[in-house]
Amino acid sequence: MVEPILQMKKITKKFGSVTALSEVDLAVYPGEIRGLIGENGSGKSTISSIAAGMQKANSGEMIFKNKAWAPQSMIDALDNGIGMVVQESGTIAGITVGESIFLGELDPFTNRLGWVNKKAMFQKATEAMEAIGVTSVTGDMPMSALDFQTRKLVEIAKVVRKNPSILVIDETSTALSHDGREIMYRLIKKFRDDGKAVIFISHDLDEIMEVCDTLTVLRDGNLIRTFTKEEYDANLIRTSMIGRELKGDYYRSDFKATSLDEIALEAKNLKYKEQLKDISLQLKKGEIVGIGGLAGCGMHALGKALFGALPLESGEVVTGTGKKITDPHVAMKQEIGYVSKDRDTESLSLTASIRDNIAIAGMDRFAIGGFLVTAHKESKYVKEQIENLSIKCASPNQSVSQLSGGNKQKVVFGKWIGCGSEILILDCPTRGVDIGVKQAMYQLMVQLKNEGKAILMISEELPELIGMSDRIFIMKDGEMKMEFKRSEMLSDADIIQYMI
Amino acid sequence: MKEKRNIGQMITTVLPFAALVALFFIFIGVVNMKGYRLDMYLKIAFNEGVVLAVVATGAIFIYTLGTFDISLGASTLFSATMGVMTYNKTENLGLMILVIFAVGIICSLFNSVLASVFHIPAFVTTVAMMSVLTAVAAKIITTEGGALGGIRIPSSVLKPFDSMGCKIALLVIFFAVSLFMFRFTKVGRRQKFIGGNPLCAYLTGIRYNKYTIIAFVMAGIGVGLGAFLTLVYTPSVTTTTASSIGMNIFIAIVFGGMPISGGPFSKIYAALVGGFSFMLLNDILEIVIESNAAYGITQIISAVFFLIVVYLTSMNYRTAMLPR
Repeated sequence: MVEPILQMKKITKKFGSVTALSEVDLAVYPGEIRGLIGENGSGKSTISSIAAGMQKANSGEMIFKNKAWAPQSMIDALDNGIGMVVQESGTIAGITVGESIFLGELDPFTNRLGWVNKKAMFQKATEAMEAIGVTSVTGDMPMSALDFQTRKLVEIAKVVRKNPSILVIDETSTALSHDGREIMYRLIKKFRDDGKAVIFISHDLDEIMEVCDTLTVLRDGNLIRTFTKEEYDANLIRTSMIGRELKGDYYRSDFKATSLDEIALEAKNLKYKEQLKDISLQLKKGEIVGIGGLAGCGMHALGKALFGALPLESGEVVTGTGKKITDPHVAMKQEIGYVSKDRDTESLSLTASIRDNIAIAGMDRFAIGGFLVTAHKESKYVKEQIENLSIKCASPNQSVSQLSGGNKQKVVFGKWIGCGSEILILDCPTRGVDIGVKQAMYQLMVQLKNEGKAILMISEELPELIGMSDRIFIMKDGEMKMEFKRSEMLSDADIIQYMI
Repeated sequence: MKEKRNIGQMITTVLPFAALVALFFIFIGVVNMKGYRLDMYLKIAFNEGVVLAVVATGAIFIYTLGTFDISLGASTLFSATMGVMTYNKTENLGLMILVIFAVGIICSLFNSVLASVFHIPAFVTTVAMMSVLTAVAAKIITTEGGALGGIRIPSSVLKPFDSMGCKIALLVIFFAVSLFMFRFTKVGRRQKFIGGNPLCAYLTGIRYNKYTIIAFVMAGIGVGLGAFLTLVYTPSVTTTTASSIGMNIFIAIVFGGMPISGGPFSKIYAALVGGFSFMLLNDILEIVIESNAAYGITQIISAVFFLIVVYLTSMNYRTAMLPR
């Protein structure tokens, strides 16, 4: 009988009056890829972050490699064998890739006088990136120059470089596009083949069933069931996750591309560095246009450009009424909303409350005379969004940072839907969101489409693009490579050849 | 949906008020213990505190954005200097008051415009402005003041304003307007949002430059009012007038419960509470430590208090993140 490499016994964690984990037992074995799945707020990240030293449990016991395990910090845990790649961005923008990878570990590159040999550090960082299969990033590159996916890969390299016995990957795949995910899957398999263990957290049921050997379902801080590969049954796992059967449509049930005739937004010959090369497209009212592609294809830049947040080299973005979008302020005045892929940095003010984050974009709607903000009108407006989107929170005054990923995303949606956006630019709108919330968001998108609103959805998930879009544009190297119309026959294989 | 507040939040909210009340009673105790006239010392503390409080009230708008203005003391000095010069040239009280406020606003506005044009952090321009304004004011004061070492207006000119009631009225009016703007208008709410996450604010369509300029205009009005009250209290200006206000405001508003990073937790009342707390603390220390070293020791003790308050008030934000 193989001994578990990590045993967590009766782990309980409370945040004030909220019980995030209730006496959860978890055993992870060498050579195992253990999946953790559950709705937002189920306790997946909490239990893995306790193992990885990010926080301490209120009670319970941990044994790692047959010894009591009580890491003092994430660095301590990583130094002693458990490393974690966190869900949100865990890097610092103002430093280089090398400094990010060797943050707090500069001693090997520092001489007696305190001088850091940056050349050697950059070289080692480049090697660390190459070791995980990334050759396009060198140690001397500034982190701020990298896109979200590449920053995530730097985080992975930083953890893997320390050769941990257990690698925890918390909802990272949604930050990665196809090629990034391939790199991650290769690493995970290598860990298993080397007799190490991986704890893999994901909301993507297909992915987690494909990647993991065993699957533990958590719900409301309780361990519901652990499935072995032989026991995998998507419907059963889904039911275990949400405690009920998922009813109604997931993606759109129709297979016909529909829209109104009126143009909502038009991009004309957009050029921006290597990311947008003469991009033109039209978005009509009542239409969902999907944009897909691999990392670096330019689709995220396109989202920003359409919202006026990129200094274009040439080209223009105009609304159906002919108004030119020159900056986000103009875009907002033209009833355009933008949901960024980098939710915590670009779409939310984490230190602010749910109320502040929702109300900020809608003040023109409820402020008396356009400037006077009364508590009554504001509360009514915010409460309406919370109720419409079923945001799980203790109070509108709760800090948004205390919400789970899915509820944070609902707050972002509430911000833009509440202020009456007629055009929504959604960059990876279901990133880090559980299956129940995803379904709710898809249904909301359908509802908005039926109301005549125009939606541009950028996504790295092909099933989502196929399931929701009237038209799909595939981008590669800053260019539009192909356009697909909604069809029942359209498959991943039809699209993927234009991405790679 | 009931609001749940944790004990830490409540402590950090109540602490500044409790400190102000405690300092007030300690001040009374110390003055009585030394056998000094309480009414006189209360008046001194109020006159010093009211200047700091009005300038700090305006400055809160800047601090809320997550930046700060180190030149507020120099701006106050320069405004007062220009006011005195104007009166001495024209003997027109109305024009003097107008110039004081106009100069205060222009000095402050200049910082924000420079920052916008050159795309540099606003506090950088304020550092440069502090040197420039101090130097220009010093040049005017030493040139015009001659052997007297300062410039002055006749004490009778601003005498009608030198009453507790008038000063309280000015403070209350300015604070009420600022409070209204800060809490009940889009301006204040958006400034707090910018302070919390400027990038998110930009991607929500909020114009950073517009709200920065408004913040500096409010600070400029505070500077003008501060310069006016300074002249009401002492109708002369020397090179050291209001010299420490820039740094004192920084300490005072943190004393008052304002987070140094600005953002959504910014509190306009921090200016009043902190301004008077700071002056009371200073006065207590100066009364207790009766020696030439009093000023230095006061500064050191203030600095220690500052660090303690920053630690306590930031405790909430450091423990607020929950990975779920």
